[in-house]
Amino acid sequence: MNQVTRKEVAFFGKITAGITHEINNVLAIIQESSGLMEDILDITENGIFPHKDKFVKSLNRIHGQIQRGIDVSSRLNRFAHSSDHCPASLDLNEITEQMVLLASRFARLKNVVLESSPSDPPLIIKSDPVSLEMALFESIEILLNIIGSGGKITLSPRKIQSKCVLGVGYENTVLPEEDFLAKISSTERWTSLQEIMAYLGGTAKVFGLAPEILLYLPESIDD
Amino acid sequence: MNRMKILLVDDEHEFVTTLAERLELRNMNVSIAMDGEAALGFVENDPPQIVVLDVMMPGLSGLEVLEKIKAMDSKIQVILLTGHGATKDGIRGMKLGAFDYLIKPIDIDELIEKLNEAIKSMA
Repeated sequence: MNQVTRKEVAFFGKITAGITHEINNVLAIIQESSGLMEDILDITENGIFPHKDKFVKSLNRIHGQIQRGIDVSSRLNRFAHSSDHCPASLDLNEITEQMVLLASRFARLKNVVLESSPSDPPLIIKSDPVSLEMALFESIEILLNIIGSGGKITLSPRKIQSKCVLGVGYENTVLPEEDFLAKISSTERWTSLQEIMAYLGGTAKVFGLAPEILLYLPESIDD
Repeated sequence: MNRMKILLVDDEHEFVTTLAERLELRNMNVSIAMDGEAALGFVENDPPQIVVLDVMMPGLSGLEVLEKIKAMDSKIQVILLTGHGATKDGIRGMKLGAFDYLIKPIDIDELIEKLNEAIKSMA
């Protein structure tokens, strides 16, 4: 990543992180206000008034949505902070879990379940967090663009012949008989993924039968 | 039984006033300050038992206010409020003498639990 791009990424990261704090403040006010309504409800004499059940139901709905908002903004906050340090020491389990949370919506649009399968013990590498997240996201997008609806994409960090690998694999109960290898490697995104992996000092390979993209990563981007 | 005496410090007016109302409903004696300078004024003139202090505030930061409070009266317990992605501030605050930290938006039951723990630790 060149210096200008790095500055742009840092700029977007800083602004986004700032906005997530603002969103959290808004959520905190909504949470306290609805909590106060509940408190008042609890101390209301006899506690009975017309349509109380609808009132309580609405309060519960507000609480549920606040929690959803907190989850979304905390994910966005973590993502925004990805650009804080580069290179950084990265736990590949954490990166894949983070990507599952961030990219699930894109998978859901194709009825695909996105999940991670953590490695034990965790694999720690020194790399560029933003570019690594981009490589993972590109891999997910490549698979989503060539498969039909349904199935599951699993992100699995693991060691293959003592090398750190991030696997992005697709499974479905019935896989169409297609040449996934040719299909994947002819996409523009595949070229883009190769470029990102070259910057990270690694390589991307694809296995065509049950399509899986394997991202081979060095233990340190400086290697 | 004496009412717990608390000072809430946060620059978000709607947040701090609503939280104060909720704690008052639980029979606590609550004051509010919207910035670090005002908080230090309270500590000097009408010291609380516990300060619930936002870390990110304009002017004096929460951590600066914490240090000054501890220098003025080390017995006052401070619970910090941090944002997501700012847990480092909470940990730093504990090294500076904060009793604990909570992540905003907070859960009222969790806050009350921390307040009770802080009071017990003062006995």
